[in-house]
Amino acid sequence: MLARAHAFTIEDLHTRHVTVEVDVRAGLPAFAIVGLADATVREARERIQAAILNSGFDFPARRITANLAPGDVRKVGPGLDLALACALLAASGQLPREALERMALYGELGLDGSVRAVRGTLAVAQAARRAGMSGLALAGGHAREATLIDGLRVAVVEHLRSAVRVLSGGPPDALPERRHAEAEERRTHVARQLDQRDLAPGAPEPDLSDVRGQRHAVRAIVIAAAGAHNLLLSGPPGTGKTMLAQRLPSILPPMSTAEAIEVTRIHSLTGARVEQLVARRPFRAPHHSITAAGLVGGASRGWVGEVVLANHGVLFLDELSEFSRSTLEALRQPLEDGRVAIARARHSALYPARFMLVAATNPCPCGYAGDGERCSCSEADMARHRRRLSGPLLDRIDLLASLGRERERDTRASAPICSEQARERVAGARERQVARLSDEGVTVNAQMDARMLRAHVKLEERGERMLAAACRQGLLSARGEHRVLRVAQTIADLNGSERVRAHDVGAALAMRPDVSLARSRAA
Amino acid sequence: MSACASCMRRSWLLAELSGPLECCARDRARLLELLRLSDAELVKAVGGRRSAELRARYGAFEAGELPREDGVEAICRHRRGYPDGLRSASAPPMLNVAGTAKRLASLATAPVVAIVGSASASDYGMETARGLARGLAASGVTVAASLTDGITVAAHMGALEAGGASIAVMGGGLGGSCPARRRALYARVTRCGCAVCELPLDHGGRRWGQLASERIVVALARLVVVVEADESPADLFGARIALALGRSLAAVPGRVSSPLSCGTHALLMEGASLVRGPQDVLELLHLPGTPARDRTAPAPARAAIGGCGGLEPRLKGTLERVGSGCDTPDKLTHAGAEPSDVLLALSELELMGLLARGDGGRYVPRHPLPS
Repeated sequence: MLARAHAFTIEDLHTRHVTVEVDVRAGLPAFAIVGLADATVREARERIQAAILNSGFDFPARRITANLAPGDVRKVGPGLDLALACALLAASGQLPREALERMALYGELGLDGSVRAVRGTLAVAQAARRAGMSGLALAGGHAREATLIDGLRVAVVEHLRSAVRVLSGGPPDALPERRHAEAEERRTHVARQLDQRDLAPGAPEPDLSDVRGQRHAVRAIVIAAAGAHNLLLSGPPGTGKTMLAQRLPSILPPMSTAEAIEVTRIHSLTGARVEQLVARRPFRAPHHSITAAGLVGGASRGWVGEVVLANHGVLFLDELSEFSRSTLEALRQPLEDGRVAIARARHSALYPARFMLVAATNPCPCGYAGDGERCSCSEADMARHRRRLSGPLLDRIDLLASLGRERERDTRASAPICSEQARERVAGARERQVARLSDEGVTVNAQMDARMLRAHVKLEERGERMLAAACRQGLLSARGEHRVLRVAQTIADLNGSERVRAHDVGAALAMRPDVSLARSRAA
Repeated sequence: MSACASCMRRSWLLAELSGPLECCARDRARLLELLRLSDAELVKAVGGRRSAELRARYGAFEAGELPREDGVEAICRHRRGYPDGLRSASAPPMLNVAGTAKRLASLATAPVVAIVGSASASDYGMETARGLARGLAASGVTVAASLTDGITVAAHMGALEAGGASIAVMGGGLGGSCPARRRALYARVTRCGCAVCELPLDHGGRRWGQLASERIVVALARLVVVVEADESPADLFGARIALALGRSLAAVPGRVSSPLSCGTHALLMEGASLVRGPQDVLELLHLPGTPARDRTAPAPARAAIGGCGGLEPRLKGTLERVGSGCDTPDKLTHAGAEPSDVLLALSELELMGLLARGDGGRYVPRHPLPS
């Protein structure tokens, strides 16, 4: 007899609908799974047999063939266990077959028949909805993720027996309490790395008002947030570069629902436990020893890199000059296109990676150039430092903020700016950009290309003269001029003015990044 | 023009004794003494076990043994056009010249000013040396400096900016001893000025050669200006040679609190002339056409500001504040200005060439190009 169930498998960041067909017929007792199943799926045979017997059901001593369709998609992960077991029970007449038609099943089985949660629940729930399923049965552990998707009945089944009960028309198990402090959590390596603050909405957020002084840098970070410009922070150790960067997410506008679902989905697929939509923009700060594969992903199938985890958020590279050259080179495509295309020998994948890059560096190897007279670097040290920083990455950075050491008196004199105020200004500036750029298919100034700059940036005459003078004197390249224009436009948006004034151009010029951060005049 | 065999033999001998001389270079005074010795005395002093062999090869030396290169001429003290400053015993008897020997002769007959200073200078020192060289080159003064790091590089850059010519004294065999990061600058210097060295062209350059080149720089010059030097013997070596050779010595002061300038301050205390800008140097050279020292004349910094006629008061105020130490946007804002006004003024001044970006987001005043 034949039975059919519906399940899903995860392929990189996407889910594929899998139809599980189980055929039970007379013959020598055997259990075969066909349909491009990987090791974790093939191992399911043992789990399913034990689970069915230990749950008090009958495991037919006949020839059992399970087929996973479509046959050309590689099936991975233990999430197919539940569907296989239920299809088998239906095929052997222990369960009504038509119950499996509209209910998708997703879960891993224990030998005792208990159902365990599997990563990627949110994506699976989304896919189940798209596939026209009326419900999704899964373990309690990640069930709250699935409830984030509207129009899908989520049935919690903690045991194979509960699954049979639900499929026979009975009530599901209770949705577990929100996040209890249970230690048992099956999480992948990436999930352990995931910043907990992103997931726990209750924790207090770092606020911009924690930063004392550094008004210039604070201004720069607000401008960067308003126009989604990539930002480079440069300054001696201990002046607050990292502190500032960590406060950037707090002034960015809140994510739209679509963005939030995308971010949550990625978190869920990497194995984090998600109970509600991620509200905060991601903030990823990988250590500088990271490899290119760690940054963009593709080390193994389905492994996403930091740039993907930073999607719609901030990627912060502290000590930029310590990152290896090849790692930084790998950032070029995501910075340009907002996505990463990974191609490996056996698979290729396209991941979303639209993030703001914030980098921090010391102005020289010892860190003290320009700070009193303490710099002890030789000319050769400086040249090396410059070489490491220069190149394609700096071409994509619009803003440079230099942080200096401040006197106590000065830091106390200035009233701090709080995140809420800044966020409002940023949101206002973003609205203006969206209104202006809506026809162009981009939303922020940082994405304006040369043609859009010509079409949309209205320069006052004095500002135009300044730009022309800067180009004439070799202070700006053609690309540099575009960067200054973009930033000037963002400053104008922040001030709410229609035209770009000379003041805005002046400030953008003063914050333009130099390839050489210190002692450039010598080389 | 070419050099005679006996003078070229000296160059060959120095290269052969490069190893022992490198050992002696730890004591700078001894190195200078050694370089003053005659060939025979030099072999006796540092030849050691190789003395006999060296003497034999010395006797059999032929000028053809030394490598040649296109575009490089050798010139010695027995030929016309050899710089007058190099006729003393301590100076080398011959030089290899990139750029032509004729050009070297004409550059050396103009008043020559040597610019020496720290190899790891601050942006203030770099900007000062650059402005100084620019002003001097524009006034027809030849700038001489070695070509290593820090101040000397800024000096050559400044001279080139004014379209002037400079003399670079190399510590090894011309281009070959030039570090990769200075190749471009070396090429620019030799295009309109000269690069010279006393060692054979294939010599890779060692520390003692670098020190020895300092004595050539000083010997070429009428006046030695020290821009930013701390109290280390390395930074003050040029000044010590100038005193030994009887060249007039001048120094540019820095902030009294800056350890990088304490060497120049010590020189000023000892009686070196104080230099604030190119004008002061021209006066020290007593160049015809420059006014005698007028005590009531405004200081160069103020003259520079006043000289940019019609500078708006807000720009003038910003420039003055930057000059007096409020040199970052933050400090200027704390001094009571609107942030956007500050940034506008800084950018405008940078575009006018009156400010340059310094290290760590600071701004440094620049001497404007003399018109």
